[in-house]
Amino acid sequence: MSDAILPAWSEPFVGEHRTGLARSRPLGDLDRATVFGGVDGAGVTVAIIDSGVERDHPDVGGQLVESVVIEFNDDDEPTVRPDPEAIDVVGHGTACAGIIHGLAPAARLISVRVLGPDNKGKGTIFAAGLEWAISAGATVANLSLSSRSEAMFPIFHDLADRAYFANCLLVSAANNVQGASYPSLFAAVVSVAAHDVGDPWTWFYNPAPPVEFGAYGVDVEVAWKGGGHVVATGNSFAAPHVAGLAALIRSRYPDASPFEVKTILAATATRPA
Amino acid sequence: MSPGRRRADRLDAEGLALLRAIAGRGAIARRLEDGAERAVLRSIVEATVALFDAEAASIALFDPARNQLVFQVAAGEQGQGVIGLAIAPDQGIAGYVFTTGQPLALSEVERDARFGRGAAEATGFVPRSIVAVPLLDEQGALGVLEVLDKRSSAAFSLRDIELAGVFARQATVAIRASRVERDLASLMQATLSTLAGSESTDEPTLQRIVELATRDLDGDDDGRLWAIVDRVARLRGADPGELELLAEILEVVALRAERRASQRQRSGRPRGAE
Repeated sequence: MSDAILPAWSEPFVGEHRTGLARSRPLGDLDRATVFGGVDGAGVTVAIIDSGVERDHPDVGGQLVESVVIEFNDDDEPTVRPDPEAIDVVGHGTACAGIIHGLAPAARLISVRVLGPDNKGKGTIFAAGLEWAISAGATVANLSLSSRSEAMFPIFHDLADRAYFANCLLVSAANNVQGASYPSLFAAVVSVAAHDVGDPWTWFYNPAPPVEFGAYGVDVEVAWKGGGHVVATGNSFAAPHVAGLAALIRSRYPDASPFEVKTILAATATRPA
Repeated sequence: MSPGRRRADRLDAEGLALLRAIAGRGAIARRLEDGAERAVLRSIVEATVALFDAEAASIALFDPARNQLVFQVAAGEQGQGVIGLAIAPDQGIAGYVFTTGQPLALSEVERDARFGRGAAEATGFVPRSIVAVPLLDEQGALGVLEVLDKRSSAAFSLRDIELAGVFARQATVAIRASRVERDLASLMQATLSTLAGSESTDEPTLQRIVELATRDLDGDDDGRLWAIVDRVARLRGADPGELELLAEILEVVALRAERRASQRQRSGRPRGAE
């Protein structure tokens, strides 16, 4: 298969393409031990906006403190209801939770289940879930999903700004299908694609946005529905690696703003070989 | 004011905009004949199976009336059992990919006892690995393309996801075009019914309409006009009243063209410079 058919945002982070990531670093390298040494995510709340999180899954480590479902009420308005069962209807949200917990074991996790009942309403449900996560006090939110609907552009743009000013860092998986997708390609968001180095502690900064970070997202052994595990590939498994790192940075520097967290992520990124 | 002009005024605002929209869509739709959707999708999954050397590939499309994802076509030795299978649009791998628009590859799936197993077993085939990509365009998600069990490898790679995405785009384009084609006829009928009128239009007038319209319209516009004509030709089942109305609509197009032509003559601009 030739490289010519590769369309996706992951390309800069894979194999020999990584040489294109080389650049001079205006702030120099930041020592990883200074940033990450001895922190475990304590004091940080990470929202996982996804298919739900299985509270009892061993990989979640009992850190799921709240679980809600966003769904339409009888008036077709998105509403938030508690999910005391704390289930995951697919397994994907549990996969993200497991990755984040693996990196930041003391971070509190909250699950916002946003898989809408039909295609038509999903952008609205997703936006309502994001809004709730911001108001619930999450300081990192993992979004392994995005909307391509033009109609959702202003809504997500507003939410991304609100999250930014509310000190909630949005970490969003870039869609593998190129083209506009919201909010993953907004500047206020940390957008993530996958690289193929089998190491959660390897992440790259891309000086040529819109996708700014590449993290471990190929053949990742992840938690899945029913207490199980699968081996998974996709940008949506790369994003929670960066969300976990962001939780650690927030744990070290509780007063850091979203742009400072992003700056630290870039300054501690793996240098391309 | 002539009767023709009165009709034109009545139809101009509501009719012309709609007609243009229909014609624009028709120009695309013409490229596919009725019933082509399934054949195109089948050829896409067959190509997918061949290229990946996979056990199976399938396409599920969302059926809004049932609120379910329904597997429409499949290829490969292990694929046929899935045709007709319907699943909830937010459940399982296909549901997740459909709902989120986010492609995924999973392997060693048999290790997980509850991984969509009910659905998989219903098809008579439980895969070891799977890649699922959405059929997506700017208007949203239409369905999901799945590829099961690449024979040469235990897992699908990032590149496989992206390659599957290329096939998914082909499928998306084919489905959109064929859906436009399908609903064009009903849209045209609806237009005719909405704009119902009773004044008759004689043959010489029609001739004049078509002559004027085709003489002035050029480039892309010409293509659009012929798309309408093509569609009209297929509307043989329309009743005389509806055909009459269509003539009125064409007349509006012609009058508009005539006005534009005379404006250009006055301003001295050459044809096609607008």
